[in-house]
Amino acid sequence: MSETPVTEAELQAHVDGRLPPERSAEVEAWLADHLDEARRLSSYRSQRDALRAALDPVLDEPVPLALDLRIGEAARRRWTGGRPLVAASAAGLLLLGGAGGWTLRDWSAPPSVGTAGLAREAISSFAVYASDSTRPVELAADHQRALDGWFSERLSRPVSAPNLEAAGLHLIGGRLVASEHGPAGLYLYRNAAGESVALYVRPMEVEKTDRMTSRGEKGVRGWTWADDGLGFGVFGSAPDAYLHDTANLVRAQFRKA
Amino acid sequence: MRTPTDMIELVQPLVPALRRYARALLRDRDDADDLVQDVLERAVARWHLRQGASPRPWLFAILHNLAIDRLRQRGRRGVPLQLDAVPEERLAAPASQEASVEQADILTLISRLPEEHRSVLLLIGVEELSYAEAATVLGVAQGTIMSRLSRARERLRRMAEETGGASLRPSLRIVS
Repeated sequence: MSETPVTEAELQAHVDGRLPPERSAEVEAWLADHLDEARRLSSYRSQRDALRAALDPVLDEPVPLALDLRIGEAARRRWTGGRPLVAASAAGLLLLGGAGGWTLRDWSAPPSVGTAGLAREAISSFAVYASDSTRPVELAADHQRALDGWFSERLSRPVSAPNLEAAGLHLIGGRLVASEHGPAGLYLYRNAAGESVALYVRPMEVEKTDRMTSRGEKGVRGWTWADDGLGFGVFGSAPDAYLHDTANLVRAQFRKA
Repeated sequence: MRTPTDMIELVQPLVPALRRYARALLRDRDDADDLVQDVLERAVARWHLRQGASPRPWLFAILHNLAIDRLRQRGRRGVPLQLDAVPEERLAAPASQEASVEQADILTLISRLPEEHRSVLLLIGVEELSYAEAATVLGVAQGTIMSRLSRARERLRRMAEETGGASLRPSLRIVS
C-alpha cells in the first residue's frame, strides 16, 4: 500500500491513463480498497468512451474540398467561392462531376482505408462466413496450429488465435480472406448460446496504430483498433458491451504476445 | 499567398480531428466545416507566427476561440446554444439505430454543460491533448484544467444518473 496520499488530480490522470506505471499500480491498489471511488472512475471512463464513439465517425468522413490544403488555395477559393460552404461544396462537386463522373464517385465512396476500411471488410466477411452452415471455416479448431501458421505466413508476422474462454467463446476455426489490402485472417468463435463472433486481422500499411473504435453496419456491430502495424476487428450480432469486452480480451492477449 | 509545403504536411492530417472538435462544439456539420475553413485560412496567414514544436495545440486554440465567437453570435441572434433539434444525420453518420440513440444522449448531455466544462472533456477525452496542451488551447493554468476536468466529469455523471444514464452504463473494462 502506498504511503503517498492519492490526489483527485491523480485519479483524473488515472482515468486518462497518464500516470507513470509505478504510480498507476499504487493508485490501482488504493482503488481496490475504495470501491466507491473505483466506481466513480469507471463511470468517467464510460463517459469518455461514449463521447468517442459518438464523435469518431467524423474522422471517417471524406474531407470536403474546401478543407483540403493540398489542392491549393486558389483552387479552393475557386471551388468554394465564398460562403456558405454548403452551397459552395455542392457547386464544387458539380464542377468535378462535369470533369469526370468517376471523381464524384471517389469523393462520396465509403472509406476503404484505415480501420474504417478494415471494419467494412470484417463486416462483409462475418456476414458471408458466420452464417454459412456448410463450411464456415476452411480449417477447424482442431487444426489451430496449422491455421495459426498459415495466417502468420500470409500476414508476414506471428499470429495466433486468442483464447476467449473468459467471454464464453470457443474457437471453431478460420480461413484466409482476400481484401483490397492483401490477405486477411478470419477466426470464428461461438458461445454456448450459438452466437458467432469473428476476429478479423490484417496488416495496416498507413495507420499503424489506432485506438479502439465502435463500428456497425447492417445489423453487424463490433470494434476495430490497430496496434503496431496490425489491424483488428471483432464483429458479431451480440450486444455491444459483450463485443467490447471480447475486443479488450483480444487486444490484451496480442499485446502480451 | 501560397500554402507552404511543410504546413500542408503538418496540418492536413489534423483536419479530421479539427472537424470532430468543431462538430462537437457547434453540433452542426456545415457550420463546423465552415469554421474549420476559417481556421485553415488563419493558419495559412499566420503560419510564420506560430510557436511551439507541434501545430496541434496552436490550431485547436484558433479553432476554440473562433468557435466561442460563433456560439456568442448565435446567442445574440437568438439561436439557442443547445441545438437539440439538429437532425441526427447532420451530427455524424450513425453506426446503427441503437448506437445512434446512445450517441445522441451523450452529445445532448454535454451540450447542457457550461462551455468551459464541455471543452475540457472534449480536448482531453476525445482529442487526447496533454493537460499542458489543453491549458495552452484554453489559455488557463494546468491546475485549472485538472479542476475543470474533475468538476465536468462529476457533473456529467450526475446528469446521466438523473436521466437514467442508459448510455453511460459502466462496462467491464479489462484493459483501460
